[in-house]
Amino acid sequence: MAKKDNKTSVDPKGLSRRDFVRTGAAAGLGAGALLESEQLQAQESATSATDTAWDYEVDVVIAGGGCAGLTAAIRAKDLGASVLVVDQNFDLGGRMLHSGAFVSLGGGDPVQRRDMKGESDKEGLITVDPVEDPEELDDSVDLLFTDMTDWSVVDPKGQNPYRYNERELARSWAENCPATRQFLIDNYVRFTRVSGTHGGGGLSRARGARCFLMLGDKTDIKAGTITAEDAGVADPERTSAFAPVQMNNATRTVAPNAVSNGVALSRSLEFSAREKGVEFMFHRHFDELVREEPFTGRVVGIKAHYAPRLHPETGERLESFWDNGNVDERRDTINIRARQAVILASGGHAGNPQVRSMFYPAMREPAFPTSGNALQGAHGQDASALIAGLRVGANLAGMQQNISYPTTFHISTRLGTRDAYTTMMPGHPTFGFRKSAGVNVGNAGFEEFIAVNQVGKRFFSEVRLPTRPGGSRYPGDRGAPGQGLSHKPLDWRNCRKEWVREMYNYDHGLDAALALNEGSKAPDYYSGPLWAIFDQEAVERTGWELRHPYVSDNGYFFQADTIEELAEKMAKGHEFQRVPLSHLAETLTKWNGYVDAGADPEFEREADAPMYRIATPPFYALSIMVIWHDSYGGLRVNGQQQVVDMQGQVIPGLYAGGEAVGGLNKHGLGKGHVHGYVAGTHAAGEPTS
Amino acid sequence: MLKLVFSVFGVALAVTPVTAAPQETNAVLLNQGEQIYQDNCALCHQVSGTGSPPTFPALNGNALLGNAARIVRSIQQGTDQMPPFPYLTIEEISAVTSYIRKAWQNTWDDVDIEEVASTLEGSTASDQMTSVWDTVFTEEQANRGQAVYQGACGLCHGRRLNGAPDDPDMSSTPPLARARFLRIWGGRSLATLFSYIRATMPESNPNSLTEQEYTDVIAYMLSVGGMPTGNEELPTDLQQLAHMFIQPRP
Repeated sequence: MAKKDNKTSVDPKGLSRRDFVRTGAAAGLGAGALLESEQLQAQESATSATDTAWDYEVDVVIAGGGCAGLTAAIRAKDLGASVLVVDQNFDLGGRMLHSGAFVSLGGGDPVQRRDMKGESDKEGLITVDPVEDPEELDDSVDLLFTDMTDWSVVDPKGQNPYRYNERELARSWAENCPATRQFLIDNYVRFTRVSGTHGGGGLSRARGARCFLMLGDKTDIKAGTITAEDAGVADPERTSAFAPVQMNNATRTVAPNAVSNGVALSRSLEFSAREKGVEFMFHRHFDELVREEPFTGRVVGIKAHYAPRLHPETGERLESFWDNGNVDERRDTINIRARQAVILASGGHAGNPQVRSMFYPAMREPAFPTSGNALQGAHGQDASALIAGLRVGANLAGMQQNISYPTTFHISTRLGTRDAYTTMMPGHPTFGFRKSAGVNVGNAGFEEFIAVNQVGKRFFSEVRLPTRPGGSRYPGDRGAPGQGLSHKPLDWRNCRKEWVREMYNYDHGLDAALALNEGSKAPDYYSGPLWAIFDQEAVERTGWELRHPYVSDNGYFFQADTIEELAEKMAKGHEFQRVPLSHLAETLTKWNGYVDAGADPEFEREADAPMYRIATPPFYALSIMVIWHDSYGGLRVNGQQQVVDMQGQVIPGLYAGGEAVGGLNKHGLGKGHVHGYVAGTHAAGEPTS
Repeated sequence: MLKLVFSVFGVALAVTPVTAAPQETNAVLLNQGEQIYQDNCALCHQVSGTGSPPTFPALNGNALLGNAARIVRSIQQGTDQMPPFPYLTIEEISAVTSYIRKAWQNTWDDVDIEEVASTLEGSTASDQMTSVWDTVFTEEQANRGQAVYQGACGLCHGRRLNGAPDDPDMSSTPPLARARFLRIWGGRSLATLFSYIRATMPESNPNSLTEQEYTDVIAYMLSVGGMPTGNEELPTDLQQLAHMFIQPRP
């Protein structure tokens, strides 16, 4: 292991002194048991440094190797710190790896300036002209700051999310965007032409660029190339261990043979981090912070337990794609001392139904997961940072902001899979956790079936179910650059009632989907799973391919020759179907009557789209998923990403970023990378203890 | 090659002049014109006549409508931006021209059949229509279109052209093939489809592909929709495209 000055990188120490066995957390336990053990543990008192024996010691410990954690790790390492990243998954990247890599930064960042001048990238890979006009790219830190704090911006739910933003966070974010963009470029990340803006902000300038690699004979991050096999583009129905989601064609924003998505971003950063000597401990779940005294003093380390991710078919432990820098540590719970700082970058709470109930009790329903549950496993987005932070006295921020962005929780158009946020094809080792890619029918596909709840009853106009509200908007603006520069920031007219009424055009079908029904039982009154029901004629109309790898017998797709048989199979075969679909046959008869009459008195479907009889066997059922994707609301931090306690005081030695924190309504990777960059900068500047 | 033939102008010119009272004539004409407008024009100019400037000009209060001959010619023969509608009869052109000059806040006079006929006198526009099911593109062209589609369109409209983007952060978009597409586009010509796509797509940078690329993408859309390939490529010429109807599977 590399040594630097007087600092030792990842020192195993005291191995013989420690024989800590953590109750109930042995390898191989299911998700439920693990969560339960965490709850038990949460009732114990917080851990202090005096009764902790350390197993490892390092300058900066980072919980989570996603977009905030990996960025923070490289930044702290660049500034001279030894860095260990602890991640519960078997590979790096978190959800950055399965993302679209739409990195919205701005403030006059190097990619905006490059496109403004019409230049190519330094390597000359980009051969297409800029997509956006120079005027759209003419950005500044002050403009970006104004955007993120503009109280007058409303969204289609008639809300005004930015009024709640922590201004210090918005300022810090805006000021650090240009430097973060340059930092990413310096660590092998290659950006496409800027095209639009991704989520959040007043949207007055174009600042979203994706990340790309070029197809080539070998996968070589330094050269910027990737093979078609690794990119998942050699076969339309197969991806790779390198790319959980097949990469997209980036011809239009780069050049022929360019491919883009989170793989180009995440693997490039990972390559750089490993090359620079950052170290990684996988299969290890971050549990607790260790403070000098339970509620006072510095944060001096973490406790983390071994939670291996095993291949769903072979039972073998899953291994990361690259392994240089990996620390293979399989003891149960270990204590890792941080000489300088701990950075919490272990994601949000979207995968923890108990914590979700802080925001929306109906979403305590465990039938509905977060995105990437196959890729990340049961511990993905399980609120570990929020839970550990609360235990040492941290404050929370932005707790109402989950309600203010369209991808927080929504009905997915990808049917027939539990992991319904992304498409994953066979070839990635976690495909077996979902077993089906799903059938992405788009919003238009919802015209082709009836949607029923756990007892087989319709509950809303199907056509309106998947509609998501758009992002925050100024009057007259369609929400993207190039489509309206006439808006005025901070103008009271943006908030006048006439405009708010015009914006308030959102169907609340999601809430109908989560409503109480005949199958809801005390004490939780869960709403239960949702189903798309259709027949063979719908399949012929749409061309949906109901075969491997799109569907499987994983409990999320059923087929039968009669409706009664279908209902029976669904009730038996789906893990969250707690009651029989006793109304399904009657619902279908009623629906066919409505079709014949040309009118649906219950949900007025005839006004929105044609209605089709469902009468030609075989009959089909595909699961409809509510996905809680983003997490807003989390640990309160200041502009240096230091966690702040309930008294407004900084908790020394503790930093957090990405979805672990709250108080800045900003969707996507742009927030996480800047948080990581800022946290890494300041963590590496902490005194060594 | 089997062609659907609509004998348009012959019928139109044989129409007996309507002899009802002027008031009644006007109402019938305007009702007919409104229907034609909704079927052919409202896609871009909107039911409200407000259009979507600068892409699609407003018709409500548009001073250019004062020039009846210009409107009549634009409808039948198209302009740089607007597709031709050669399948509209003289009577239909009279009705729709009169409608847009009277609708909303507009107050211009009707344009009768004689005026339309005299404006279009000497026009060589053909009235022979074919269907997209009559082998109007080649397999090679569809393959070229697929390559363009994957770069320029696929990110939003999805690998399967069903309006389902692979990137889950992106909103659904209109499907570009199969039943749903045909329901919206059935009864319109490929010239209308071409003009609409060129004026609006790709959304981030409309009119940035070549005419050949736009045409090739349309060929690819038709091939995914199951329309058969033939030996002749889909032309880039708007006049020729205007004679090809999008229709449900025969």
